[in-house]
Amino acid sequence: MKVKNRGALLGSRILDLLTIAVVAAFLFPYLFMVSSAFKTRLETFAYPPVWLFTPTFEHFENIFDNMNILFYMKNSTIIAVCSTLLTILIAIPATYSFARYRFRYKEGVAYGFLFLQMVPGISIVFALFFIARALNLFDTHIFLIVVYLLWNIPYAIWMMRGFVEGIPVELEESAMVDGASRFKAFRLITLPLMAGGVAATAILIFIGVWNEFSLAFFLTSTNARTMPTTIAFFMTHSGIKWGPMFATATIGTLPVVIFALLVRRYFISALTFGAVKG
Amino acid sequence: MNGDIRSQRRRPTWLGPAILILPAFAVVFSIAAYSAFSLFQLSTVDLTFGEPFRLAEGVGLQNYQWLLTNEHSTFGATVRITIHYLLGTLIPELLIGFAIALLLNRKMRGNSLFTALLIIPVVLMPSMVGLIGRLYFSYDGLINFFFESVTGVRHNWYGKDLALVAVILVDIWEWTPFFILILLAGLQTLPVEPFEAARVDGASRWQSFAHLTLPMMLPLILTTLILRFMDVLRLFDVIFVMFSGGPGTATTTLPLYVYRTTLVQRDVGRGSAASVMLIIIIVALTVILIKLRERIKFEA
Repeated sequence: MKVKNRGALLGSRILDLLTIAVVAAFLFPYLFMVSSAFKTRLETFAYPPVWLFTPTFEHFENIFDNMNILFYMKNSTIIAVCSTLLTILIAIPATYSFARYRFRYKEGVAYGFLFLQMVPGISIVFALFFIARALNLFDTHIFLIVVYLLWNIPYAIWMMRGFVEGIPVELEESAMVDGASRFKAFRLITLPLMAGGVAATAILIFIGVWNEFSLAFFLTSTNARTMPTTIAFFMTHSGIKWGPMFATATIGTLPVVIFALLVRRYFISALTFGAVKG
Repeated sequence: MNGDIRSQRRRPTWLGPAILILPAFAVVFSIAAYSAFSLFQLSTVDLTFGEPFRLAEGVGLQNYQWLLTNEHSTFGATVRITIHYLLGTLIPELLIGFAIALLLNRKMRGNSLFTALLIIPVVLMPSMVGLIGRLYFSYDGLINFFFESVTGVRHNWYGKDLALVAVILVDIWEWTPFFILILLAGLQTLPVEPFEAARVDGASRWQSFAHLTLPMMLPLILTTLILRFMDVLRLFDVIFVMFSGGPGTATTTLPLYVYRTTLVQRDVGRGSAASVMLIIIIVALTVILIKLRERIKFEA
């Protein structure tokens, strides 16, 4: 009996170690990339790879001083923040409607939104390119902000609908019995209760826009260029500038990683359009 | 606003919800309709990218016909590469992801921290992931270092035989956590009673996995597969940055084909026709998969 217990304990220790090894394996490529941002060019290309080295900050200095990375961060921030706020503002009433009313063709309309969300960016980006040219909006912040709404609004509706449906409708009804209007009941009761879900949705939309590549790459040139599309600057005729690129990637991914860890409670819902609760 | 919504009870019941949905509907469907109209229009003309639109010559549906039937068209080969890419990513991601989810689904200190950390690959900037992949798969890169340590040989991942494999491996690294996270969440909400009953009846671990866990998880597995399927089919950025569809056409999946036809060959008409077909393929296959999942759900 005792032996069996010891065996079980050993087995569970082995599984613990295996778990840690698996998680480490998934994090390793990212951590190695971050560490490479602090390596000199020679160290980046060393074979076999260098594991211990004196960190250098030259690449970070380089991207801030010579590549004007702050400008692209500013563009990314403006576009991501504006598109996210607009999305939430437009999506909240629609979400409420889907969650709280019964009407004909409701699911049909909801799926209509979902199908539009499925359209690949790359498949309409060149049509959008011609539209932007025709409207004189090529390489502007506003064009990207509006275009992203096509994907963001359906996503927000599907995400937030689950959160609203999770709040008992009786709370609102009792407020309305007490004389509050439907809007007031929503504003005073449901909105505060769904605030966490709205914040999580907003953060996930922000991450999506911040990371988005194909539309930003083909619909901007210099003025509205965003962080992810700056990679083109690192692919030069004389080869790829790995150091500055890793420094940019490190800075560009840091806010996203922090944000994602903040809303990890909502992450499963986020990945499945609210179909699965974490 | 207050009065409007309050008094909607006396009006037709669809008016309230319709007013609330209208802004979202108007914005989304007008952008979509405008783009769809332009895209379809572009797919019926002969136009070189860079030329003004007034030089476009209407050719009807000839672009579609060319893509599907012309002997010089590589559309068929592209579809084949896309299928390889789909199977090469989805199957390993599901199997590895499910296995790791089962591994994580037990009481252990720090488990919630581990699952949180697995979010990181999923939220990284895809363009940067592409560049990471490009460096790690270079001849003197990290991947070859590990390969040489274990097998003693290095591979040319940039060559046309292995480029697609390299792109697939990057996707597996980035997106297996997606399966892990969702399937783990599913495993944690399974009811306990059936498993206890099975243990009392003397079922082996494998039996309770095959007869209880698997059938109960099937709907969620299908949902996850459908979501990933849509994403893999429209993936552009990582492949674009790693190999931009090359060498040759080795990594030219459908989204890459759209890009290369429109911008590299500068053929706007055929590129747009390919875009339309990509949209139709994604929507049609997803509808079929959703229907399929519903049927399985009812049978289960």
